[in-house]
Amino acid sequence: MPAVERKPENLVELIWPGRRSEQVMLETTGKSGGAGEIFSIDSKPGFVAKIYHATTSQAHLAQYRRKIQWMVDYKPALPQVPVEYQDIVQLAWPEALILRESRFVGFAMQKIAFDRTLELDYLLNRRQSAQEGLDADFGTLVTVSFNLASIINCLHDRRIAIVDLKPMNVKVYKAELYVSILDCDGFHIATDEFRSDAPQVTPEYLAPEFHDKAVAHPEAQDRFALATIIFRLLNYGIHPFSGVASDQYKYPPELAGRIKQGLYPYGKVAHKNVRKVPASVHEAFPDSLRELFDRAFACSGYSRPSAHEWVDALAIYASKHSGQMSPCSKGHLRFAGRPCPTCMRDALIHGAEVRRRSFLARVQAAPARTLQYVKKTLRQTHSSPFQAALAQAQFTLVQLAPPAPISTRNAIALEILWISGLLITYWWTK
Amino acid sequence: MSPVTATALWLPPLLIAWLWRPRQAAGPSAWILLIAFGALGAWALWFGLYAHPGEPASFAVWRPTVLYWTLAGIMIMGPLLGWGYPVKIILGTYFALSNREWRWINLGLATVYTILGGANLLVASEASYKDWVGFKYSCMMNLLIIVLFRLNFVWLPILADVSIYLYRRTTAAYRYLSSLF
Repeated sequence: MPAVERKPENLVELIWPGRRSEQVMLETTGKSGGAGEIFSIDSKPGFVAKIYHATTSQAHLAQYRRKIQWMVDYKPALPQVPVEYQDIVQLAWPEALILRESRFVGFAMQKIAFDRTLELDYLLNRRQSAQEGLDADFGTLVTVSFNLASIINCLHDRRIAIVDLKPMNVKVYKAELYVSILDCDGFHIATDEFRSDAPQVTPEYLAPEFHDKAVAHPEAQDRFALATIIFRLLNYGIHPFSGVASDQYKYPPELAGRIKQGLYPYGKVAHKNVRKVPASVHEAFPDSLRELFDRAFACSGYSRPSAHEWVDALAIYASKHSGQMSPCSKGHLRFAGRPCPTCMRDALIHGAEVRRRSFLARVQAAPARTLQYVKKTLRQTHSSPFQAALAQAQFTLVQLAPPAPISTRNAIALEILWISGLLITYWWTK
Repeated sequence: MSPVTATALWLPPLLIAWLWRPRQAAGPSAWILLIAFGALGAWALWFGLYAHPGEPASFAVWRPTVLYWTLAGIMIMGPLLGWGYPVKIILGTYFALSNREWRWINLGLATVYTILGGANLLVASEASYKDWVGFKYSCMMNLLIIVLFRLNFVWLPILADVSIYLYRRTTAAYRYLSSLF
């Protein structure tokens, strides 16, 4: 363990709820983000401190202080977890203010065990998640989606919105499948007693009505981002607005442009200008989920399914006892009564590869095969009885002599004489 | 066309034909046809390309007749002199026919050429110049039939052979170049 650097500026005061204070020493971790740096707290192994960068203006610090103070005082109730999982942190929520020489500099939050978690981004790629130690079958993915929707539902109940909701800001516990949301100090809060905006957004997860303008309805934005994340989780990372444009259609190259134009090709009613990505398995989703996706991506604002609706829809699939996820003939988990998405994906990927190789081989062999066929037809040397009969059928009136046993060069020499003879004949008769 | 260009056009193919000639012995009917066409070709080259102002104008009327009667003479004399049936060389040996059948075809073609040669003179003397020209070109139909026979039974198989050879060489060259990069 590296030696702790005990600088005077690392001595800070924690202000817990109820205004109880405590002096602690911070230890640098080397981890830093856009707004601040993460420190460990020497006497609090279950907590870490986020200290805002020294370049943060006093006005911003004052805003942060008000927001963090409110958050410390009003921690939202989160979904219940079993007793044996009490150490799971579902939200990196501020637990205490941090003052240095009586000035606000940051906050303390519960420490998320990074060795037990992986970024949600990894679950979008099965190979990556397997390398990280999590075999992401459809049961796992549905459970993770359910847990994510549950947390967001709790936040929305308290009129708190994440706004910049994206896989990078979400951690997943590999063994327990609970999720943890980071960067809580960037959330949007709109309670009766306190209000704080969240200006940070990510275009790939931003609802179409908020492109090029401020997010006026943060919960509607969360609904869109949540549906996007669930769609990607269940559809092998395929974004709901990635597709293949029909001919002649001016298709925006970036996802943000496609979201803005509402080019969603995975609806129950096909889009007229955009086709689905061939590897998509959305047709294996149950109708209840497909209808929610259609509402999320084809509607706007609060017409989108809420986190609560997602919780309701996913609960039966996340529960092992409901029997709504059943194994296919190869043992993959699938939605009961629906085709197996894993088998479907394998068939799409490997089938396409096999067809591609076979097609290329046929294309490469086609000229030689054609020439051989023509040659055999002309020489009457087809080995297949059917082809021989077919070829001979054209010449039933006269029996042809076997080809002369001469080389191609000799034949060319004779034909040069022949063509010369024809030219001479032409000259003499013209 | 200048004499030099003309020579550059006909000499290389004949040189290739000589270098790639079959080493098997040719029959007498083949030789007599070759000699006849050599003579006719030399005449055509000389008066068509090199000599000025060309052959006598009155000979133009006789030209198709000379060709037809030369061929007819060879076809009639060939079997009589024991040189085989020259029609075999003209049509090629694509058909497995009996000697009796070849004799009749030979005789038939000789008769056609004799009549065509005579008809040419008759039309040239009795009909207008325009009609004679039309008659000459209509007679070229038999030339076209021979070309089609040759195209179907000989040139296409040769083309197939050459194409397969070129395809294999190109593929091998492509693989070799691919291995370099």
